[in-house]
Amino acid sequence: MKKLFTSIAFIYSISVNSQSTLPNISLNSLDGNEINIQAISDNDKIAVVSLWATWCVPCIKELDAISEYYEEWKEEVNFDLYAISTDDSRTIKRVNAMVNGKGWEYTILLDSNNELQRALGASTIPLTLIVKNNKIVYRHSGYSAGVEFELFDKIKELK
Amino acid sequence: MNKILFFISLIFSLTTVSQNNENIFGSFESNSQLLQDDNTLNFTSPDDNFRANNYFQLNYNIGNISTGIQYESYLPSAMLGYYPQYNGENGIASYFMNIKRNKFDITLGYFYGQFGNGLIFRSWENRQLGINNAIKGIKFKYKFSESFNLTTIYGQQRNGFELNESTIKGVDSNLNLNKFLNFEKTDLTIGASYVGRYQNNSTNDLIPANVKSLGARVDLYSGRFSLNLEGIIKDSDVIANEGVILSNKLYDGTALQLDLGYSKKGLGLNTTFRRLENFNFYSDRLAEGNIYNQQTISYTPALTKQQDYLLTNIYVYSAQPRLVINALENRSGEVGSQTDFYYTFKKDSFLGKYKSKIAVNFSYWAAIESNFNQDQSYDVEFIGDGNRYYRDFNFELKNRWNNKFNTTITMLDVIIDKGVALGGPLGVQGDIKAKVGVIEGTYRYENGKSSRAVIQHLWTKDDKKNWAGLVYEYNFSTSLNVFIADGWNYGGADKIHYYNFGGSYSKDNMRLSLNYGRQRGGLICVGGVCRYVPENTGLNLNLNLVF
Repeated sequence: MKKLFTSIAFIYSISVNSQSTLPNISLNSLDGNEINIQAISDNDKIAVVSLWATWCVPCIKELDAISEYYEEWKEEVNFDLYAISTDDSRTIKRVNAMVNGKGWEYTILLDSNNELQRALGASTIPLTLIVKNNKIVYRHSGYSAGVEFELFDKIKELK
Repeated sequence: MNKILFFISLIFSLTTVSQNNENIFGSFESNSQLLQDDNTLNFTSPDDNFRANNYFQLNYNIGNISTGIQYESYLPSAMLGYYPQYNGENGIASYFMNIKRNKFDITLGYFYGQFGNGLIFRSWENRQLGINNAIKGIKFKYKFSESFNLTTIYGQQRNGFELNESTIKGVDSNLNLNKFLNFEKTDLTIGASYVGRYQNNSTNDLIPANVKSLGARVDLYSGRFSLNLEGIIKDSDVIANEGVILSNKLYDGTALQLDLGYSKKGLGLNTTFRRLENFNFYSDRLAEGNIYNQQTISYTPALTKQQDYLLTNIYVYSAQPRLVINALENRSGEVGSQTDFYYTFKKDSFLGKYKSKIAVNFSYWAAIESNFNQDQSYDVEFIGDGNRYYRDFNFELKNRWNNKFNTTITMLDVIIDKGVALGGPLGVQGDIKAKVGVIEGTYRYENGKSSRAVIQHLWTKDDKKNWAGLVYEYNFSTSLNVFIADGWNYGGADKIHYYNFGGSYSKDNMRLSLNYGRQRGGLICVGGVCRYVPENTGLNLNLNLVF
């Protein structure tokens, strides 16, 4: 009986409610400020969230590719990219050097305890999301050349 | 367990009533393999040739409360090279409830966490490595002010689907001094931590039941400069080897890490020095040095650059923090450093009109010079001139030639101790010296279609001699790709081709990948922590769903 109840409640609740929002988690930025990720896309702001790490080659490819067009795109549509580093304590010291060395203009947040990564069920990175009013409207994992243009097309649709 | 399910289902059922400020989400991950005999590799498939690791995770949040549960199954067996304790097991592996209010953050059940650099304490999950050393108990974080916070932990560590009998307790504090020193552009934080383990010593009073580590650290960021220093001392404890305590003699341990950074737009420099002397901390004293990275409290990964190509990750370093005193070898730990340099060229440099990027990394790791005495004690230098374990110089140059085409060139020059690379005692079997060159090109067509090709070569006169490698990947769209790859050990006695082919499909909340081929035996590393995978041949399927 309990099992039956469990299954029914489970299936019902999932069909009604799926992970369409970002969880209530605060992350530190590189300069030590705490930012609640539910706030990054409030008031119709468009936020791109990209989970990456200094040791993740496809992640860096994606962020390098976007950085080529970032300024140009931001002139066209008002959005911000939050590059959320899942680096652990070992590699986190590299984040600053890499971000600056690569000339990335993104807002960098640190998910060093992988709290957000776990909550998003992202067993592999890169994971890229577009969020507006805290609703996840686009989700993509992995990187292949050109996915950055697909991303920007989706951003333009939300304008 | 039924109670937990019932409790959670009750919460779920309530969510269907109202949906404000609450959500349910979860994920399902399945990694499976079907192994087959391969005479060329001398690989005989085990009887249970279908193996699968599955993870099902469900979370429910309402307001400031979040809860979650994770089910894991390793049926009929865990994948090759995973911790054998998982074989044939399944069940609820972890669950938690977390409440966040203004100043406090409390977690009941299984929790993860880390103090400082993680040297003194880190509990974490990595499914690729088969690591989940969550602690079951209570974690309590209290923010006294914007400048000062304190975290306490208490509980027992997970070991497979069970808990270790020892109890772990810890305190971590961070104090930001900016306010007190009126710093505006400088950020200075100091921290201190304590981690203790109580483990019954049954009848042997010579073995300490309580062992603790104490640590202190300083983190300083000032404009373009940064400095991070952390030091840990660990109480004297017995040392174990392969689950056996060899003597009642006690040894203390220390860890020291210094990071220095300088960066400005377009240029980043970071250098790390680390010294680990007998620095290992496990929730079971007998688990010391286990090859599956289980039951760890301290976190001491290799500090080298992680490579991702077929041939660049054959000779990889794993950290050597252990004190080992036996007939075969004597060593007391590891000391060394690594440096990263990143630079972005301006537009229209001699490398083309787009911004070229360069990354250089150098690392050197060696034994701490030590003299071992008859009575199993040892005298140790701070650095000295111990056996070299690893030396790596590598650089990477990324170039975009036009809107469609970009290349990456990677070069590696590695020297690795044979014991580190292949097993056996360290520092006595000689070195492997290898050079690797990789050229990768990516061409983008319209509509998300693209081609990626990688050619690579490894030169060495040692071990299995030369290798050549080739990868070709075609993306039909940004969601669907196929690839073929071959790592050919043409210099080796058997001239083995480690071929692989497969593809992946990724769309919205789903990712599916399938590949067939030969797995080269060796270390698979994620973020400096490595797992040994035996050579095998077969079909691999990975599925990841989020909802």
